[in-house]
Amino acid sequence: MEYVGEHLWAANLGRGLTALSFTMALLSTFSYYANGQDWKKLGRFAFRVHAISLFGLIGTLFFIMANHYFEFDYVWKHTSLDLPARYLFSAFWEGQEGSFLLWMFWNAILGFILTYSAKSFEGPVVGVFAAVQAFLVSMVLGVYIGDLHIGYSPFILVRELQDNVGLPWTQFTDYLTRFPNFMDGEGLNPLLQNYWMTIHPPTLFLGFASTLVPFSYAIAGLLRRDYKSWINSALIWSFFSVGILGVGILMGGAWAYEALSFGGFWAWDPVENTSLVPWLTMAAGAHLLLVQKNKGGVIPSALFMLVLTFLLVLYSTFLTRSGVLGDSSVHAFVDLGLSGQLLIYLLFFSIGSLVLLLARYKGLPKKDKEDRMDSREFWMFIGALTLLISGLQITLSTSYPVFNKLFGPDGLITLYDKDKVLSDPIDHYNAIQIPFAVVIVLLIGAGQFLSYRKTSTALFFKRQILTLAATTLCALLSSWSLKMWNPMYFLLLWASYYAIIGNLEFLIRWAKGNWNVAGSTVAHVGFGLIIAGSLVSNANKDVISKNKTFIHEEFPANENLLIHEGDTVQMGDYWVSWTGQEEEGYYLNYNLEFFKENQGRLETSFNLKPRIQLNEKMGNVAEPSTKHFLSKDIYTHVTYADLRTELEKSNEEWKNQFDLELVQGESHFLYGKYKVQLDTLVVEAPSTDGELDYVVLGAGISLRTMQDSVYKIMPVYAVQGDKANHVDTEIEELGLKFRFERINYETNKPVISAAERTEEEEPFILIKAEVFPWINLLWLGSLMIAIGTFIAIVTRIRRS
Amino acid sequence: MKNSQIAIIVAIAILIGYSLVRLGNSSTYSSFEDALALNGEKTTVIGFLDLEGTMDFNPETVQFSFTAKDKKGNISKVIYNQPKPQDFERSEEITMTGYGTDSAFIATEILMKCPSKYNEQNEVDSDKIYK
Repeated sequence: MEYVGEHLWAANLGRGLTALSFTMALLSTFSYYANGQDWKKLGRFAFRVHAISLFGLIGTLFFIMANHYFEFDYVWKHTSLDLPARYLFSAFWEGQEGSFLLWMFWNAILGFILTYSAKSFEGPVVGVFAAVQAFLVSMVLGVYIGDLHIGYSPFILVRELQDNVGLPWTQFTDYLTRFPNFMDGEGLNPLLQNYWMTIHPPTLFLGFASTLVPFSYAIAGLLRRDYKSWINSALIWSFFSVGILGVGILMGGAWAYEALSFGGFWAWDPVENTSLVPWLTMAAGAHLLLVQKNKGGVIPSALFMLVLTFLLVLYSTFLTRSGVLGDSSVHAFVDLGLSGQLLIYLLFFSIGSLVLLLARYKGLPKKDKEDRMDSREFWMFIGALTLLISGLQITLSTSYPVFNKLFGPDGLITLYDKDKVLSDPIDHYNAIQIPFAVVIVLLIGAGQFLSYRKTSTALFFKRQILTLAATTLCALLSSWSLKMWNPMYFLLLWASYYAIIGNLEFLIRWAKGNWNVAGSTVAHVGFGLIIAGSLVSNANKDVISKNKTFIHEEFPANENLLIHEGDTVQMGDYWVSWTGQEEEGYYLNYNLEFFKENQGRLETSFNLKPRIQLNEKMGNVAEPSTKHFLSKDIYTHVTYADLRTELEKSNEEWKNQFDLELVQGESHFLYGKYKVQLDTLVVEAPSTDGELDYVVLGAGISLRTMQDSVYKIMPVYAVQGDKANHVDTEIEELGLKFRFERINYETNKPVISAAERTEEEEPFILIKAEVFPWINLLWLGSLMIAIGTFIAIVTRIRRS
Repeated sequence: MKNSQIAIIVAIAILIGYSLVRLGNSSTYSSFEDALALNGEKTTVIGFLDLEGTMDFNPETVQFSFTAKDKKGNISKVIYNQPKPQDFERSEEITMTGYGTDSAFIATEILMKCPSKYNEQNEVDSDKIYK
């Protein structure tokens, strides 16, 4: 059958390139492993062809998305005609298929670079890359063998979807023009229509992709029993990974803070957690490599950490893409039915690398002498261990849905009969992670003052008297001004100030701005600022939009404030008024004006425009609006607004419709406040030649109010043939309407319906406003981590 | 004994200790009936909106109440002291975390799953053809 208007060439091109890319990745893997000069050349050639065909396939997908070829399922699901071009990228990686492609894209780029830079390690390193890529490409392969399907292609047509095959509409060759559903796509989720969504996913996926480089070096080292010559390269890549992954995660936080209305930058959602954990272990691995390079003796733990990091990335992929998280995450991917394939991918690399590690364990170079307790390497090892434990804790708690699948009521081995769930994830993680954070920032602060091998205790303390004094003073001052005296919080604040001040002092006084240490010190100051900023802004977060509801101290029922249009109400230190709303594209902007009291007069302080994105297809979404000050943010969002259109509102002009069956001379009560009486029934029924022309009935009714005012009305009911007409009567002053509905033929009584006018509601909105103090420390810290890592990498590349 | 071995043992001890603590932080998925039997302990019920029941939102007190049916078919009134979520009527499945009481289930957190418009496409199309 020939369909009209389909772009089959794009489907064929895309699928062809996918197949080519897949075979070339496999070929490259085998050739690299075959080992030998010619094989190596073939492996390299195959990898490059793989990469180029991958770029071609990505380009093809972009092309069909940009041109809105809605016969393609992926295009239909993720774009729409009204999607602004700048969100095309977000639309591209909104779905599983596109984000797999994004990940492969970075792997291909990194692999491409390694075919030049890895030199003698090219074989095993790029070989691992090729194997990973083969698994990843298989996820978008879309090959069906009987009932089994391998991968899910982004080039599948809507009519080829399993659910649609054989449906009647697929019989129309012109289905694309015949059915309006194909004129426009579903479009991009409004939550993702944000510039952060253009830069956060590529950065994060570059971070994920970069964890593969140290992993590949570790595997290569194990295969060759070489535990020395690759350390420096792996070290640089590890820190690259720590920097990029860290920035990627923080960008996700910035997006959540700016575009989502859950009120914060971090919610301990499983998707966030599983991206944080590889960062923690990568930071541990990178620092162990540093110890290995400067002192040696930690090869086993360094190898373990690098291998584990990549495996955790795979585990994260499995969790977020297999549908296993289901109810526990707000932003996991939609399940594509790839869980089996994802599991094989995870198990292949886990078993393969762990077996290799175990097999080589005996021959690994170990410490000849035990580390001293006052050596830098000992405490760096403790730091790495803390990061690992912290990461394992997060992994275990995030894995509840997995445990439920394994040991729950429907699991493989039933150990408990009801699925378990974390009852309060945010409190749970905060309570357990804060002590780990304290240890980490303390070590960051002390680290610079420790020497490798041995530190003189006297010198260690003498060098940092100033730091300790300044830290204590700053922590006391901050706690006093914030009234934050929770001992755990104070300890964390003190420790993060120690990390910040200690590193700054080290940089200025002892290292004298030496570039070789500047990178790490700046990054460490950044980390301290992130911890301090997160702590201060979250622990002292203050909801200023308080209403008067009180249920229980710990029950947040009073956090939303009702504002009538034009009204000015007090909110925290401010007065706020809602001056109206305006439409801007898909958005409804709510204009809020904030005033400050100054000598008894209100002066405009600033304006905010929280908004609601109107999206018929995906549902309406509230977007916050934030006023940034140096020392605090005021974060507002509309939590409720009446979004009915004028037409919908006017349909609800009358309410409480009530039918009265009236008997002449008898009084009836209406709405508990009116007395209604039928005085007379007027009938007009002319006839010609014995045939009834029409009947007009009028009910003469008197209505008496509680104040004894009497109104006389006469609703009219007219019947001609099979048509009926009503002439309604209204009593304007009382807001009442009467209609002569019909005659009840069983009782022969007139039925009059009454209705009350809906009082016009004064428009109102509910808003929630929170103050986040000193959240700028967090963003400053993020920036410093990025800059610090960059400096560190550049100086290391220069030195080597 | 080596220092690093001590450190590893301490780390393992922390992890085991944590696992024990963690047991206290977990709750189970229940039905409305179970939730009542839990005597005010926090729990999670998965259900859906019962359109035959009442639904009311009072913006003055910021109280939203609705009727929900859980997966076992128990029907309960649910009170949520937060603004009514956008598109609540369209929700397909509602995950409610909170406490069971005699008069209603008091939800502190509500997550909604909304139907994908995508699935509706086929229905619409086939409808048109049969007509």
